[in-house]
Amino acid sequence: MDLGSIEREIYVDATPEVVFEVVSSPEHITGWWPDEARYVARPGSSGEIVFGDPAAGGGATGFSVLEVYPPTTFSFRWTQAVDEEATEGNSLLVTFSLTPAGEGTLLRMVETGFRERGWEQAVLEQQYREHVAGWDHFLPRLPDYAATLGARA
Amino acid sequence: MTQPVDDDLWSAVGDPMRRRLLDLLLAEGPGTATSLSERVPVTRQAVSKHLGVLDRVGLLRVEAAGRERRYRVDEAQLGRAVAQLNAVGAAWDGRLQRIKRIAEAVQRERGRQAGPDERRTKE
Repeated sequence: MDLGSIEREIYVDATPEVVFEVVSSPEHITGWWPDEARYVARPGSSGEIVFGDPAAGGGATGFSVLEVYPPTTFSFRWTQAVDEEATEGNSLLVTFSLTPAGEGTLLRMVETGFRERGWEQAVLEQQYREHVAGWDHFLPRLPDYAATLGARA
Repeated sequence: MTQPVDDDLWSAVGDPMRRRLLDLLLAEGPGTATSLSERVPVTRQAVSKHLGVLDRVGLLRVEAAGRERRYRVDEAQLGRAVAQLNAVGAAWDGRLQRIKRIAEAVQRERGRQAGPDERRTKE
């Protein structure tokens, strides 16, 4: 593996049209990644995605859409500051490629730019992951968790 | 900050030959440019250069061994590097699993309506 990039592939038992919608639309992206998403799935559109509560260690990061070719390619840059234009040096590039496979879709994801963006990004990613893992863990016990938050507030 | 620049750490472990040298040092214990060059298809000089890169980012500890330097892996620093790289990969594993779950649920809801070129399966 080239440590400057991450590549993953997964088979999804759904048509490329459906998978494309899930990876690209702001409505669906919050189902698998950030807590909030504000962007338009159109080339050149810039917006933001938000993780957690900014008042409690969460944060917003820029999200700029590059390519939108339904149902085969969706790419974007993220991790730039919200008010900054995304460039090679300040952001990570994520590309989703979709290929029909049997009745479903082979979804390929490549994230690059770590070398350019730097090591600190890895730490940031880890924080995001911990945030997400936290929700996977806590969601089924939401009542208890809500009580905890209430107690802290 | 006395820590080496993280970008450098990233590109230090990004090179396949340097990862091979790290593997050898981990598996077989401390080594010198000479002993390591017997195990890889590059010259002693090239090995020495790679070791220098790994040393500069703090991944190796060095001690004198006669005229040569003997290197071993700084496991704390390597552990830090590996943990962070794994974390990045693991984050995407989780996201893709969720993409799969959501897309398949959407598909079930909608049924497999025929697209223009969808093949029909006989039941």
